[in-house]
Parts: sequence; structure tokens; C-alpha cells
Amino acid sequence: MSIRPIDVMAIPLKSTHFFIFLLLLSNIFTPIISFGLTIEQEREEFYEELLLRPLPDRKVLAHFHFQSTAPSSNSNGRHHHLFPKAISQLVQKFQIKEMELSFTQGRWNYELWGGFDPISSSNAKPPGVELWAVFDVPQDQVDASWKNLTHTLSGLFCASINFLESSTMYSAPQWSFRPATGNIRYGMLPREAVCTENLTPWLKLLPCRDKDGLSALMDRPSIYKSFYHSQRLHLTSNKSGPEGMNPGIILEQTLTVVLQPNSQRTSMTYSGEKNVQPSWSLSSIFGRKVSGRCVLAKSSNVYLQLERGLVAELKKNKNNGVGNIASEGFWSGTGFELSVRPDKVFEEENSSHRRGSSVLFEFSVDKYSDSQPFDLGLKWKFPVTWSSEPAPLHASRFLMGSGNERGAIAILLKSADLNDASLGTCSSSNGYKFRVDVFQVVPWYVKVYYHTLQLFVNGQPKAVGDVIEKIHVSPSKDKISPGVMEMVLQFPCDVKSAALTLEFDKGFLHIDEYPPDANQGFDIPSAAISFPNFYTSLLFPGNCSVDKSPMLSKFQEKNPVLSYTEVLLVPLTTPDFSMPYNVITITCTVFALYFGSLLNVLRRRVDEEERLLKSKAGKTAPLSGLLSKLSAKLRGRPQETPQSPSNSSSLISSKLLLKVFLVAVLAVAWQYYFG
Amino acid sequence: MEKKEENKRQRKKIRGGFWRWVIASVIFRLILIYFPQNLNLSSRPEVSTPLTSLRRLAEGYWLKQASMSPYAGSMYHGSPLLLSVLGPLTVKRIEGQPDHVLCSLLFVIADIMSAMLLRATGWKLQVAYRESLKALDIINIVESSDILASGDIAALVYLWNPFTIVACVGLSTSPIENLFIILMLYGACIRLVPLAAFGWVMATHLSLYPAILIIPVILLMGYGLDAPPRKLFLLKGYCKIGDNNSGNIHCEQEEMINRSKAQIIFSRRPVVLFFFWTTLWSVYVLVLCGISVKQYSGLWEMFQRTYGFILTVEDMSPNIGVLWYFFAEVFDFFRNFFLIVFHVNILFMILPLAIRLNHRPCFLAFVYIAISSMLKSYPSVGDSALYLGLLVLFLDELADMPFSFFIFCGYVGISLLSPVMHNLWIWRGTGNANFYFATAIAYACLQIILLVESVSAMLNHDRKLRKLSVANLQDGKS
Amino acid sequence: MWFKIYSNNMVVWLVLLLLGSSLLFSSIASASLSSSTDTTMHTNNWAVLVCTSRFWFNYRHMANTLSLYRTVKRLGIPDERIILMLADDMACNPRNKYPAQVFNNENHRLNLYGENVEVDYRGYEVTVENFMRVLTGRHEAAVPRSKRLLSDEGSHILLYMTGHGGDEFLKFQDSEELQSHDLADAVKQMKEKRRFKELLIMVDTCQAATLFNQLHSPGVLAIGSSMKEENSYSHHLDSDVGVSVVDRFTFYTLAFFERLNMYDNASLSSLFTSYDPNTLMSTAYYRTDLYQRRLEEVPVTNFFGSVMETIHTDSAYRIHQRKVTDRVERKRPLEKSVDHGGRRTLIHSNKDDQISDGKTQVHVCPFTQMWSTLNSKVERIEDVDSLVNYGLIIMLPFLILSVWLSL
Repeated sequence: MSIRPIDVMAIPLKSTHFFIFLLLLSNIFTPIISFGLTIEQEREEFYEELLLRPLPDRKVLAHFHFQSTAPSSNSNGRHHHLFPKAISQLVQKFQIKEMELSFTQGRWNYELWGGFDPISSSNAKPPGVELWAVFDVPQDQVDASWKNLTHTLSGLFCASINFLESSTMYSAPQWSFRPATGNIRYGMLPREAVCTENLTPWLKLLPCRDKDGLSALMDRPSIYKSFYHSQRLHLTSNKSGPEGMNPGIILEQTLTVVLQPNSQRTSMTYSGEKNVQPSWSLSSIFGRKVSGRCVLAKSSNVYLQLERGLVAELKKNKNNGVGNIASEGFWSGTGFELSVRPDKVFEEENSSHRRGSSVLFEFSVDKYSDSQPFDLGLKWKFPVTWSSEPAPLHASRFLMGSGNERGAIAILLKSADLNDASLGTCSSSNGYKFRVDVFQVVPWYVKVYYHTLQLFVNGQPKAVGDVIEKIHVSPSKDKISPGVMEMVLQFPCDVKSAALTLEFDKGFLHIDEYPPDANQGFDIPSAAISFPNFYTSLLFPGNCSVDKSPMLSKFQEKNPVLSYTEVLLVPLTTPDFSMPYNVITITCTVFALYFGSLLNVLRRRVDEEERLLKSKAGKTAPLSGLLSKLSAKLRGRPQETPQSPSNSSSLISSKLLLKVFLVAVLAVAWQYYFG
Repeated sequence: MEKKEENKRQRKKIRGGFWRWVIASVIFRLILIYFPQNLNLSSRPEVSTPLTSLRRLAEGYWLKQASMSPYAGSMYHGSPLLLSVLGPLTVKRIEGQPDHVLCSLLFVIADIMSAMLLRATGWKLQVAYRESLKALDIINIVESSDILASGDIAALVYLWNPFTIVACVGLSTSPIENLFIILMLYGACIRLVPLAAFGWVMATHLSLYPAILIIPVILLMGYGLDAPPRKLFLLKGYCKIGDNNSGNIHCEQEEMINRSKAQIIFSRRPVVLFFFWTTLWSVYVLVLCGISVKQYSGLWEMFQRTYGFILTVEDMSPNIGVLWYFFAEVFDFFRNFFLIVFHVNILFMILPLAIRLNHRPCFLAFVYIAISSMLKSYPSVGDSALYLGLLVLFLDELADMPFSFFIFCGYVGISLLSPVMHNLWIWRGTGNANFYFATAIAYACLQIILLVESVSAMLNHDRKLRKLSVANLQDGKS
Repeated sequence: MWFKIYSNNMVVWLVLLLLGSSLLFSSIASASLSSSTDTTMHTNNWAVLVCTSRFWFNYRHMANTLSLYRTVKRLGIPDERIILMLADDMACNPRNKYPAQVFNNENHRLNLYGENVEVDYRGYEVTVENFMRVLTGRHEAAVPRSKRLLSDEGSHILLYMTGHGGDEFLKFQDSEELQSHDLADAVKQMKEKRRFKELLIMVDTCQAATLFNQLHSPGVLAIGSSMKEENSYSHHLDSDVGVSVVDRFTFYTLAFFERLNMYDNASLSSLFTSYDPNTLMSTAYYRTDLYQRRLEEVPVTNFFGSVMETIHTDSAYRIHQRKVTDRVERKRPLEKSVDHGGRRTLIHSNKDDQISDGKTQVHVCPFTQMWSTLNSKVERIEDVDSLVNYGLIIMLPFLILSVWLSL
């Protein structure tokens, strides 16, 4: 069990190289390989797609979506043509039922970029690394396989994911994070750096890597210059598919980037207007163009999505508002124009949202080549301002209190303007309330007092009982496990703002437990807040191409709206790292002082007695008296002592003589043995 | 005659003053309790350690209400009995009253009770002291120290000690622990075996360290109250026999010898009874604990989370002791060694002290309490309050203790300086952990000096008594 | 054949070690090992490149390491034979004006980070402990291959370290030090475990020479950027990046290597002589006394590249041997899992026993019966708190009664 990851790692390294070779081949003998694929291995498939979407704040969202599926390994041994062997090995070794790993930099801006669409709720990830996995092993082996999985992934993606191995870093959410999953493990590394070395192995999992196809757009500097980029790997495996879907592994890799197109051309053309959206093209935002598709991909499409708000705006601007949007010439007639003519135009079939329906332009890059590369450009004619749809409640989290002794975590849920659509779902949901799930993991050195949980709805404090429907807390154990809090809150539909606060004490760590930059503070991973009554789904009219495209079918799934809060930075007090020796010596000195002085006081009696005796002997003739006593002792008959004090002194002196004798004997013995 | 009269009058006056002061102290506590929240003593590191803070107890009670083990998570480390008594009080809120008012009232009552017990113990001690001095017919000291009734003074000092007040108002459970310790001492002093056993069992159950007090308790049971060294009685008895004069003196010599004998011989019966009651009470307490932690993972977890937490110093949050910083800084592979060393340091001193001070069990108990409150893993000012209160019981014996003024000033200075350093370090961020640790070191040194000086003063007192008795034996002869 | 004898000797030496006669041990070991080294042939090249310093103002150390990384890759050491340790993330640092790019020169001609860099240990992972683990190969079982230094007794290893150092130490992450003794011990262990044939340690830090004082293992070659009491300085400052981007020693090393390609065999001595104290502003230090071969005939690609002569040899035998040992190593975990299973079954059986003898005792002993009934009663109690409180309340009259009796 414990040696497995090594063999796991053994093959992927080889396999990636095998793929390089394969790719070189593929570029040369494209038809042959494609034939081979189509003939003997039609079930192993790979799709590549790119979704572009203009954002309200003059930015552009680019969402790459690669999906490769492999049939279950029993059907065709351990051989893979397109599917990365590393991943299949991973699944087989650790019995992974489902796994998601995401590297993210920057924070998704839920107010501006929307919190209600599939991308924001499934691809907007907390900063750093987030990993969760559902295992298909007995309960007692889950932790072991989680540990091995983290190590393997850290080797695979050049990240220090293996820090998630220690039991203080991961948790086992019961029901709030993902409903109805058995032995799931969940871990987060908020401060993990994300850079090229993470993207490259991720790209190596693609059949064409970044050499060909849409992934060729990924120019590292332009991606890492972006405001937000999240690189995500999600795999689901079901052996002997129980529910209809074909058995096998589905690997879904998405890269979500929010880029700022440089708007020189806009300012040139429309010098007057500041608030016109910047025009952009693939080459201007990525610095590259798509030269043809990846030959191994079953389909490779580029989509341009206009949000509901934007479409509504455009409709308003267009004086004849009743034109069919999906009709030809709409996209040229309205406020923008595309450099490339779209192959298809979909209009979202109108869901309960009244804000109009989003429009999707599909471009197939099959017919492009190196000679005439695909470079989609969007040019705005006149300024448009719209706002993308926010989440029903905007969740934010912050710290309260000052000083390094204690503080409080506050989660604030502010309602964006609840449009009637969401109200409809609210009223349709159980009992005119709508439900909010909160899942929060707190590291052990932030010691949360769960009995101090307070709730404020619309400003008024509410009793915990009548808002919280269900709560599960597993408090943190020092240096063993983090604290996990899962809650189901039920709010009335007219809730404008809700806040819940938790007090905590800041722990004090051993100096070895502080990181090298301890004064930077410690991170509390971001909490996941989901709204199970609200579903994100973009339904496009039943179309063969839509069904074929895995990204669009992903969009059509009904997922609850999920949003992450900020990562909190908690400064902890640091001891003096240079002190250990001083502290040890000083403390031990104090203890020695205590021990020595007390013992000295206790044994001071003896010399006291001696002094007393000397004074007594000084009164009589000292030596003669002693000698007479000694002779008397030796002779054994009581010597006559007339005066009274001798009575007491004889008592003492006999004892004294005994002592002296004992000491002498000891000294002689010492001399004899050790001298 | 008239001397006695005016003694009585003075006593009455003192009594009246005493009760007035007691009531004043209660009122003062209530004022502090109802003080608006801006002084939050309950979160001071000096007052509430991980063991004694009521906040953690409330957390434990919350977990228990949520049908989890109160020891799940490393918040609560106290006894389950305390939890089941205080827990409901923590959640009860009365309108218009500050939080936890019931708990604070309980603590006030505990303080008053322990003060009363201290007073009674003081009376007993003083009476015993007097008549032992009479037995050695050294009257002059008795005359000199006749007026000041150490019991009353001890009680007042205990009530008005700022440490006690802070510990009582600051919602830490140390008043209750102190109450049980004093109850044990009182029971041992008046030779109420079951009471002493009960006190010992409860105190040991609440905070591990009073376990070492079993030695003074046994001595109290066996030999009776504090007295001058027994050799003096022997001496006296012998030399009285040595010259026999007329009969009437003879008979009273006889009974004096008997008394001295009685003081010497070790009466076993109460001790056996004590052990019997101890087992009885401890079994009872364990059964109660077992029942209360039954549906969780049982007694073993309780022992781990309470006594284990005390013995392996896990929590490194700062307190007035020195161990937190030591174990935050020490290298990991030395940790166990130093744990053993520091705990053995407490045990080392038990035997020598017991041998040297076996004729003064109460004072021995005071010394043990002082040592344990100085070296325990999570000390708080409540412990210091206890031993300071006990110290006053031996006012007559320790009348000529050196450095007493210096020690007093030291205590005042430390208790003013330590919060400042803590504030500089934790809240302002301008200070450094070392500053606060320095005050902790200074405090430890002060306690050491106090301890050593009091012990030596007591020994010197005994020497003085011996000299006097020997002297008046001699002049009795000649 | 001699391999078995050697292993027998190993046992004997272990006994000697236990007896603590380390002098004898080392002498024997070194003698035998030297004999073993000249018999083994050069099989492969490894590189361990360590940047030990954190924080943005140490940009240049990461640039040093990355430029060495690029060089050895260019000269033919593949990525999976390079262990790259970077203590901080400079490329995507928010302070970096050029995201995902690292430059070692003012003219940003060369992006060291490139498209394809494999960082094996980064951030908080770069500790002295992990460094020693990598060298000595003592990892836990779960650590993947890409993080291990899987060299054998025929490999040439390049160990490059840069950071802030001092007299006989090198700081890791500004929080812990690597002492020269530690380094020497690690190298000695590597020698004992036959993890390298030749080792070149190259250190660019202040007083780098002092780091080599304790080295005693044969086959080790050491280059330091500066002598004792000497600082090694940075080369130049990039005003765009805002910090100095490369250290002098590394800069001139690179200047030497840029002129080379994989196939021309410049000797190590030419590299050593290429350092000019005036341009370095410190005197480079070479320790060659532990190295057998003459530097003139050792090409730099011996360490910095992966160029090996093809000799027809009967090394299949030894490789086979190594395979055997590997298999032995791999068996262990399997056994573990096996006795896991055994333990589990044992536990089950124990449970059964307990249950069974519990039943039997119920028939046998009335006391246990009573106890069990009492237990069941206690189980049945629902409101435990009130019971406990009643118990505590009962305690008081009991106490009073007992006191009254004993009065």
C-alpha cells in the first residue's frame, strides 16, 4: 500500500515522454493516427473548448475546458491512447471515486463578475490549492490513501500538496460541502504559490499539451498577469457505471482566466468616450492565435457568451427591440461586431430569470490552420454598461477584535437585490424560507468557542435555535485535527443581511511550529457557502452540437450556487526565536535556587547544634571534657558529672561523637576503596 | 482579673470589626461583579488558566449539550462534576444582570465559606499553641502575642487579598478548589475524619496537586495540631521526674508527663479511619464521574484530558508561571525529560519537609501548597491567594521573619508590572515575550524567597522555644 | 561474488560501529569504498540545485539556481534527474513586474523560468531536513519518485547551493542552518550507501569555503565562491525588477558555460581557472584533495552535463544485484500490509473472545451478573446530568451525617 505511489510516479514520467513522442508523430502523420483512433479506439475521447465572455468591468473572462474520457480499465488493459496514464494509475491505486484539485491565484470578484452562473459557482475557487477526494475504500483506509494521494499529487504537479497529509490540515465534511458523499477528505492550502511549474504538468496531461490546439493560447506571462486564474482538475470514475453513464474515467481540466485587454485601440477610435468597453481579440489578450485544432481532439470549439444583462442592454439599445436575437446579423447590427463570423448562435431558452437570456456564439476552429490562424476579435461600437447576475446573498467574512490574544470571526451575508426569480425559488422552496449551507474549517491554533455563536438577521440578534436548522461541529484538537463547522441556516425570504459571529482565542505554538515568516500571520482557509435552493443552469435549446459539447452539457447541469469567502489572515504572537538557550538556563537556575536554598534551610540544624555544643564546651575545659567523655564512653561506665547542664549536653555530645565516628569510618572507607 | 476583662473587651471589639470587614468585602465583590464589562478580568492570563477558566467550562457544557464529549476538542480540562454543577449556571441568563452572575455569586459564597473555615482553623491553632506553650510554661511569649487573633486576621487577609478578589470576580473556578483544600485542613484540625477525607478527595479530584497534602493530614490525624518539637516535652518531663519534691507537684508532673506522652505517641485509629473514608469518597466520586461521562468514551478519556493535560504541559498560553515559555522554547527531544524533572522537583521536597516539620502539620500543609502553587503547570493568582491566606495563620510563630517588607513590595510590584508587560506584548505589540517572562521569573523568585524565609523563620522559632524551655528548666532547677 | 563478501563485512562493521570504534570503521570503509569506486563505471548524472533563501530581496539566489538549472538541462541532464529546490516563489510573486518570468540579466533576453520548469521542493518544503533526506535518500514510503535522488554507485552528482551563509554554515529560509558537519555527514552517508561515484559541490555564498572543511569522503570535489572571512557579492542590479538579479560567482560560471555546448569537452581545470578574483571580488576556492582524477582530463560535462562514454562491460551482473536488493526493499511494505490483515483478523477474534467469555461469565459469576445489570441500568438512564446533580446533593447529607456520627 505504502510503496504504491512510487510505482505510480514511475509510469507518468515515462508516459508523458511517450506522449511527446506521440505528439511529434501526430503532427507529421496526422491522418494515420486519427484513422487509427477512429478505428480501433473510438471510446477514448478528448474535447477542447474555450469560452470567452466580456465582463462588466472592462475585463474578459476566458474559460478553457478540456475533457478526456477513458473507458474502464478492464475493457482494454492498461493501455491508453489519449488519456493520461498518470491519472488512470492514480484512480486505480487509490480507488478514487471523485477528485478535484484546483490551483488558484487572485480572488473571484463575486459582485462584478457574477455569482450565479455555472462558471462562478463551479470554477471560482479559493486562493491557493484546494483538494478534495472521495475514496472507494473501507473507512479505516481512507486516511492512508489520502496521505499517499497528496504525496503523489505533489510530485505530479510540482506543488507542496503533501502538506495536506498531516491530520491538522484536512477534514472530513459530513454533508454540507458535498451532499451525500461517503468517505470524503477535504484540504486547503491558502498560501500555496501558483506558477508555471504547476501549469506545465497540468498541460502535459493533455494529448496535445500546449503545442497545438486551443491550449497553444496559454502564454505563461499573459496568463499569470491576469487578475484571477484558476486551474482545475476534476476527475470522476465509476467502474461498471450504475446510473446509465458509461463506465470509465472522466477527466475534466478547466482553466479560468480573467484578463484585462489593453485598450489602446479603443481610445484611439473613440477618443471621446471613456466608458466604452475595450475591444479585444485573442491575439491582444493572449499574444497568440489559434492555429488549427488539436488533431487528437474530437471537437474543438470556441464560444463567445453574452450575459443576460448584456443581452438585455443590447436589446434596449437596438431600436427595433423585437428582432430575434439568434437570427443572422444581430451580432453585427448591435453595439459590437465580431471579426469572425460565428458558425452557430444559440439563445438560452428562457428560464425563470427575467433579465433576458444569454446568447452563445459558437466558432469551430477546425477549418483554421497555420496559414490563416483563428483570431476572434470583438469590437464595441458604443458604450454599454450592464451588471452580471450576483449570488442571492453576497458572502463575506472578516475578523473582529484587536490584539493577539483573542478575536472573533464574522460571516456576513448581504443580499444583493433579490430579483423575483430567486424569490420565486424561495417561495417555491420549503416553508417560505431559503436555505444557506455554511462549511468552515478552522486550524487548531485558532481555538473557536462554539458556544459564543451569535446570529444577527437584518441587524437584530436572533436566537440560534430558530435560524439554524442543523449544525454539526467537530471541535479542533490541539496539534491533531482542525475544527470543522457545518451549518444549515434557514432565512426568511425578505432577509436583507445576516451575520454570524464566533469568538476565538489565539493559540501559542512551539517555536518549531512557526513557519520561517511567522510574523506574516496564519491563514484561515476560506469558508464555502452554498445556496441549495438556487440552481445554476444555462439551458440551450436541445441541439446535437450542444449535447456533444461537454462544456455546455456541464453548464446545463443543475448545481447549487456555491461561493467562497475570503481567506482570513490571523496574526499570532511569536515568542523570541533566539531565546531557547537563555530560557532553559534561566528557568533551570530558578529551580536550582528553589531547591538549593530550601534544602539548605532544612539541613542548617546540624551546625547549629555544633555551635551550641562548642559554646557549652567553652564554658568547661573543652578538650579535657571531651576526652573524659570519650574515655568514659570507652570504659562504658557513667562518668560522674556534678553540674546540671552536662545532663542535657551529654545527650547531645554522645550523639555528636557517634556522628563524628560515623564520618571518620566513611572517610576511611572512601580512602580505602577510591583513594 | 481586670486583665482578662479588658482582653474580653478587646476580643469583642475585634469581632465587631471583623464582621464589619467581612460584609464590606462581600459588598466590594458584588460591586465589582456588577461593574460594567469594561474590566474583563475573566480573560486575564493571571486569573483564568486553561484549567480554571469558566469560558472553557461553558464551551465544554455546550459540547455536552450538543451530545458530544465535553472533552472533544481541547477546550475543557476540568472535572465533569464541576461541569454538571456550573454548566447550567453558565447558560442561565437573567435579564438586566451581567452574564454568569449566578456563578460569580457561587464563587463569592465559596470565598466567604473558606474565610470562615480559615478563621475557625486559626482559632484552633492558636488555642493549641497557647496551651502547648503553657505546658512548657513559657508564658512571656504568650503574653506578648496575646492580643492579635491570627484566625480573624487570616480570614480578613484572605477576603481582602486582591488576588482572591480578582480570582473570585474573574470567573475562575479556583475559589472552589481553595474551598475544598481549606475544608480538608479544617476537618483535619478538628479531627473530623470524614470531613478531611471528603475535602482531600474533592480537592485532589478538582486539581491534581493537593494530593500531596495527604502527608500533613495524616500527621494532623496522628499527632494533633501544631506544637513545639516533642523533644522539649520529653526533656521537660524527664527533668521534672529527675527531682521529686512534695506530692501535689508530683501528681501534676504525672499528668504532664502523660500529656507529653500523649503528644508524642502516634494515634493510628483516626488515620485508618481516614483511609477508609478516603476510599469511600473517592469511589463515590469516581462512580459519579463514570456515570456522567458514561455515554462518551468513559473515565479513561477523562483522566487523560484532566490529569494528563496537567502533567504534560500541552497548552503554552502565557500565565504567571515559568513553564509555558520554557516548553514553548525547549527542544522537542528534551521535552519529556524536563517534564519529569519539573514534576519531580515538587515531589523531592516532600520528604525532607515532612521529616523536619512533622511537629507542625498545618505549617507543613502551607509549605506544600506554596510549593505546588509555585511549580504547578498552570498557576494562577487564586493559588497564591490561598497560601498567602494560610501564611497569616502562623502570625505568632513567624513574627520575626526577615525580608517581609521586601517580599510584600515585591508582590505589589510584580502584580502591577506583569499586566503592563502582558499588555505591551500581546495588545500593543511593542513589547516582547521576554518581558512578560521576566516578570514571571521574578514572581517565581519572590515566591521562593517567601517560602524559604518562612520555613527558616519557623525553624528559628522552634530553636527559640527550645532555648527558652531549656533556660527556664535550668532556673527551675537552681 | 565479492558482493556477498562485502555484505558480510558490512555486518561485521555494523558490530564494530555499535562498539563505537569509529576510527577503525572509517578507515576500513574508506579503503574498501575507494576500491569499490574505481571498479564502478559512470552510469548517469544527477543534479541537486538548492536555493535556500526566502523573501523577495533574495531574488538573485533563485536566479542563480534557475540559471544553473537551465545550463544543466541544456547540457543534457533530463528533468527527472534534477532535484530543484526553491525556497520561495519569485516568478509569480506579486512584487514581480514580469509574472512567470525570472531574469538573471539586465537585458531581459533570457527568461529562466521558461515554459517548462519542474520545481521539486518549493516554499516551506525547503528545509534542512528535506535537504538531508534528499541526499541520504531516507524518505517516507509515500514520497514520489520525482522528489527522490535515485542515484546509484555509478552516478555523478552536481550539488549546487546558494543562499546566505557564514563560517561553516548555510542558512535555510532565514530560520535554520545547515552546518558543515551536517553536509559532511550527509556526503559520508551517501558514500556508505553508494549513492554516488563522483560528487561536485558548488556553493555560492559568503565564506563558502568554510562549508567544505569537514568533508572527508573520497570522490568529492568542492568549489566555493569565497574564502573564509570573504563575502561573495551580487553582480548587478536590475532597475526594472528592483533587486540585484545574479551573484558574481554564478554569473561568471554561466559566462563560462554559455560558450560551451554538449559536445566540446572543456576540462574542469579550465572552469576553475576561469574565475578571476578581481571580477569576483572574492577568491574562489577549490577543494580537490578528495578527488582522484586529474582535473585537466575531467570534462565539465562530467558533472554539468550528461555525457558518458559507452564501454562494453559486464555491469549487468551488478545491476542485476541491485535489482534484487530493490525487490527486497519493495517486499517490506507488502509484508506490512499482510500482517495488517493478520492484525485485523486477530482483533476480530479478540472481540469474539470478549463477547463469548462475557456470555460465559454471565452464567458463572453472580457479581459480574450484578455488574452487568447495573451497567445496563446506567445505560438506560437518559438524564445523566440530573442524576449526577442528585448524587452531588446526596453527597452533602451523607457528609453531614458522617461528620455528626464521628463527633
